Amino acid sequence: MKRSTVASNAFSATTVAVAAALLLMMSALSAALAQGHPFGIRPPDATGFTGWIIAEQSRFYRALSGLIRAAKTDGSALWGLMGISFIYGIFHAAGPGHGKAVISSYLVANEETWRRGIVLSFAAALLQAITAIVIVGIAAALIGTTAKMMGDTVRVIEIVSYALIVLVGARLFWVKGRAFRRTWHEVVSGAKADGSATPKHDDHVHHRHSHSAHTHGHDHLHGQAHHHHDEQRDHDEEDDSVLPWGHAHGPEPEELAGPGGWHRGLSAIVAVGLRPCSGAIIVLVFALAQGLFLAGVASTIVMGVGTAITVGAIATLAVAARSAAKRVAATRPGYGSLALRGIEVGAALLVMIFGALLLTGYMASERTGLF
Amino acid sequence: MLYRLASLLTGLICLLAAGGGAVAHPHVWVTMSEELLFAPDGSVTGVRNAWTFDDMFSAFATQGIEQKNKGTFTRAELAPLAQVNVDSLKEYAYFTYAKVNGKRQKDAFLPPTDYFLDYDPKATVLTLHFTLSFKAPVKAKAIEIEIYDPEFFIDFGFGANNPVRLVGAPADCTLLVNKPQDDYFPNELRLDKNFATSEANIGMGASFANKISVACR
Repeated sequence: MKRSTVASNAFSATTVAVAAALLLMMSALSAALAQGHPFGIRPPDATGFTGWIIAEQSRFYRALSGLIRAAKTDGSALWGLMGISFIYGIFHAAGPGHGKAVISSYLVANEETWRRGIVLSFAAALLQAITAIVIVGIAAALIGTTAKMMGDTVRVIEIVSYALIVLVGARLFWVKGRAFRRTWHEVVSGAKADGSATPKHDDHVHHRHSHSAHTHGHDHLHGQAHHHHDEQRDHDEEDDSVLPWGHAHGPEPEELAGPGGWHRGLSAIVAVGLRPCSGAIIVLVFALAQGLFLAGVASTIVMGVGTAITVGAIATLAVAARSAAKRVAATRPGYGSLALRGIEVGAALLVMIFGALLLTGYMASERTGLF
Repeated sequence: MLYRLASLLTGLICLLAAGGGAVAHPHVWVTMSEELLFAPDGSVTGVRNAWTFDDMFSAFATQGIEQKNKGTFTRAELAPLAQVNVDSLKEYAYFTYAKVNGKRQKDAFLPPTDYFLDYDPKATVLTLHFTLSFKAPVKAKAIEIEIYDPEFFIDFGFGANNPVRLVGAPADCTLLVNKPQDDYFPNELRLDKNFATSEANIGMGASFANKISVACR
């Protein structure tokens, strides 16, 4: 009887993990399909919330040009410009190309804290604003190149940025895939042994074991240069051999967070934030043409802060959902952590898919160019 | 536990999918003035487009273009830009979709001809002129031309006065212009209104589609 419950639990956990991965892929696919329109196929109408977001963005965006013009003669219009830029940024982050999906998936896959999620969102959004300012500042203000040249520059940056997203996703997928496989072996083969040979083997024992594994892992992590992949691998394999049960519900993925995680977080920030926002570039060039480049710069930075708030909020939600899942999973050592590892693998895969779709142009971002 | 986990997951997935599936808002506004060209035998030979861009995009597009007289651009100075515009429009099928007797035509048009850009120094806006000729002149009872950007990066709209004309059309042809409600188009833009009505009639690309219908007996 015990055996069958164990088996069915293992089965359900696997089902949940597989279903999660499938759903993640499907949602990525549908997101992609929703954006590529073959000739003559109309997109669905955007009504309700989406439509409202689009409408508000359009409205604020269009107001920007008037405010920049007004600021030429009336300095107080600058306050209005800053206010509208801020609100525009908040709404605009709902549009594509601001890394909500990539950042959220990254945070989920990497078991990051909400604090780090917010820092990541702000850093990425500000980097995005800075890229736009640097491009327009150098290309337009200093060298005086054409819009086509700027568009071409942005396209190159875009390709680099999307390729980086794929790499960040691939790296996460590799690490998380290994963790999932390990947990799978522990839980599923362990469960079989558990079910047949020692049916009375209870959770208590697992608990203690996993705790010691956890501590061990941390000591190890802090004691050594944990940036190095090889060391990481040693650590993993050692855990595998010495404590086969160790990972039952130990927070092992945290080897990626903490102090060592920051330089990895940087790769995510750069991957997402490198690509400038097309709206910001147009606003900056317009401000430059009006002789108010600095007003454009200020507006772009304020926009970035607004964008960061939205992205940060969405990222926090994702982190909250993930830690809720973790709490639920913690009630079931073994299967719970297997499901969690499954979520992480799925989210890592999603980062990779987003990057690939962006790279191949199946997932549209904003266009920067003459059309 | 699995049920709760599954529902949490579903929420998470929806969140991530929503992030990935976001739609862009327009960054470019085009005010159109269109002419439908007829041959003497009553067939439609093509469409002549005149698209006026909004001031921000016009400033962006003219950035770095050399000008003899500050504040304005001649047609010749803008010729390379017009070439870029027309070249890149190809990828988007010129945003111009034709329907003949209710049937959508794929690749209906030849490459653009007679294209050039004009600059209005007072309004500081660019207007792109280009003619799209049908591969074969169309003689049909009903022709529909729709102009829109399916990705809604560009918001197309008709000008206020007489934005569509039939050139050389037989007397029995009638014109119907469908102007979708678009509160955020330049002509209508006012910051103080629309808070209450902002949810009305908002859609992307196609629901903003501007339809020109011509029926000839």
